Amino acid sequence: MKTLEYLFGSPELRETFWPPVMVGLLVGALCSALSVPVVLKRMAFVGQGVSHAAFGGVGVALALGMVAGWAAQGTGLLAVVTLFCVAAALGIAWLSDRPGARTDTAIGIVLAASMAVGFLLIRAVAGRMREAGLPPPPGVESILFGSVLNVGPADAVLAAVVATGVLAVVWWYRRPMLFWAFDEGASAAFGVPSRAMRSLLLIVLALAIVVTMRLAGVVLATALLVLPGAAALELSDRLRPVYAIALAVGVLGVALGLVLSFEMNWQPGPSIVLALTAMFAAARVCSTIRARRTAAQERPA
Amino acid sequence: MPDAPANAVPAIDYVGVGFAYPRPVAGGDGAAVEALRDITLRVEPGERLGILGPNGAGKTTLMRITLGLLPCQRGAVRIFGRTPEQARRERLIGYVPQRSDAELAFPISVRQTVELGPAGRLTGFARLSIDDRRRVEDSMSLLGIADLAERPVGKLSGGQLQRTLIARALAVGARVLLLDEPTVGIDVTGQRRFADLLTSLRDRLGVTIVVVSHDLRTIAAASDRVACLSRTLHSHVAPEGLTPAVLAEVFRHDVEGVFGEVHVDAHPAADCDDPAHHHHHHNHDHAKGGGGA
Repeated sequence: MKTLEYLFGSPELRETFWPPVMVGLLVGALCSALSVPVVLKRMAFVGQGVSHAAFGGVGVALALGMVAGWAAQGTGLLAVVTLFCVAAALGIAWLSDRPGARTDTAIGIVLAASMAVGFLLIRAVAGRMREAGLPPPPGVESILFGSVLNVGPADAVLAAVVATGVLAVVWWYRRPMLFWAFDEGASAAFGVPSRAMRSLLLIVLALAIVVTMRLAGVVLATALLVLPGAAALELSDRLRPVYAIALAVGVLGVALGLVLSFEMNWQPGPSIVLALTAMFAAARVCSTIRARRTAAQERPA
Repeated sequence: MPDAPANAVPAIDYVGVGFAYPRPVAGGDGAAVEALRDITLRVEPGERLGILGPNGAGKTTLMRITLGLLPCQRGAVRIFGRTPEQARRERLIGYVPQRSDAELAFPISVRQTVELGPAGRLTGFARLSIDDRRRVEDSMSLLGIADLAERPVGKLSGGQLQRTLIARALAVGARVLLLDEPTVGIDVTGQRRFADLLTSLRDRLGVTIVVVSHDLRTIAAASDRVACLSRTLHSHVAPEGLTPAVLAEVFRHDVEGVFGEVHVDAHPAADCDDPAHHHHHHNHDHAKGGGGA
């Protein structure tokens, strides 16, 4: 069991592996809470757009850092990426708010453009930094798919702060958010600020993606924002159980994925996504069997 | 309530309401698109008013103005003497949306849905007041869905879902029920039952009921008085007055409303003294007496 060795072995190992585990569990809880409205409002593709904007954000942050003469690492990089993601989220919200707007087209454009910008900028900055003899910026692959070694104690603290803040805000606005998600057309007539609720969900989505991408990468962050909610909705049609199941799936999926990654020496992002996908498949099988059984019971009557 | 004195504050008072959308619609000529013109209409407390109009007649615009979701560009709207924004704050109007609008795969029960009416705006630690809690339960019993309280909305029949949405509107303590196309997808028997339901709500709660629809049968069955809308109001009649002659007139106006300038002064039926309108001007007290049965 490498997992036990990593987590409870030598101080060096513990220092390396506890932060990603902590970040993973926090991010699992955070994303699974958001995954329920994301799935119900069919915003999975919006999440995809916002997370890919993060890739462009990294490129822009690195380029800005190089121009300003500082190595864009840590806080500065994160701040720029966060701003980039929030702007992308609000841009998507603005584009999809107009009558007859095609949200999917807007997202497709934002997604592709930020990938292109990000890729070119990251490559250019990496080249210049190599010439200057500076430590290289994070590789494209680690931004796309995440990396355990990227995650330090500071990330764990940040993830804890963001997760607590986001969950508190979402809890505070739980009822207007629920009304908006369930019945957007009617909610405004009942005094719910429905446009603000959409923006709020998009902003917290962007924040969740920024803390998730260090561990699971830009491409895979959306999996955490979709699979727990999708699995939970297979298993229940009641509000509290759905949230409880989503939370369990999210946290368990991350834990399972990390164990897989430690044992098999796989990258954590893809391992987590595979674990979550397996859990979703299991939930789907359960709900199919249950539906068949109900139908069989109703037939003779 | 149906016998409210004539000088009582009207439930809804539209005075010369006009609205134009600034943005051109697809295929338009780039000019502002006029949706409503000079709507003047008085809805009495406890009355069942039907607003009949084809698609694109401005029904949705009129509803959004009434709910305070669109500004009233010309004229004024008062709900029991309040502006639409005040009325929304004081929860005077209970809105019943089209059933197809809600996300029916949502994991939410009948009681949770009805509770959203009064609780939808609450944040943080705020809790439903005792009055609101009682109204939630009362509304569910009144609409005969108390025994379905824990059922997920996705497992309701069309009629049960509609009763849930009406209960949600009543749970805010509304004095006016505003229903948007309430009988889409309901058969004739269901429509009659629905009309009886509205009548009993009016009789038991004294609530004013406004039904907005393009469906002639719905409007005829569920209203004491009908206003025909096509950008502007064309006629006010008792449902019995919706004769082929009147409908032909509405449709003529509808056609001319699209292709040319037509302007018909809209007056509340009671004080309409234009001789041209007399052929479809029925006594509206007579209709009220029949509607309460």
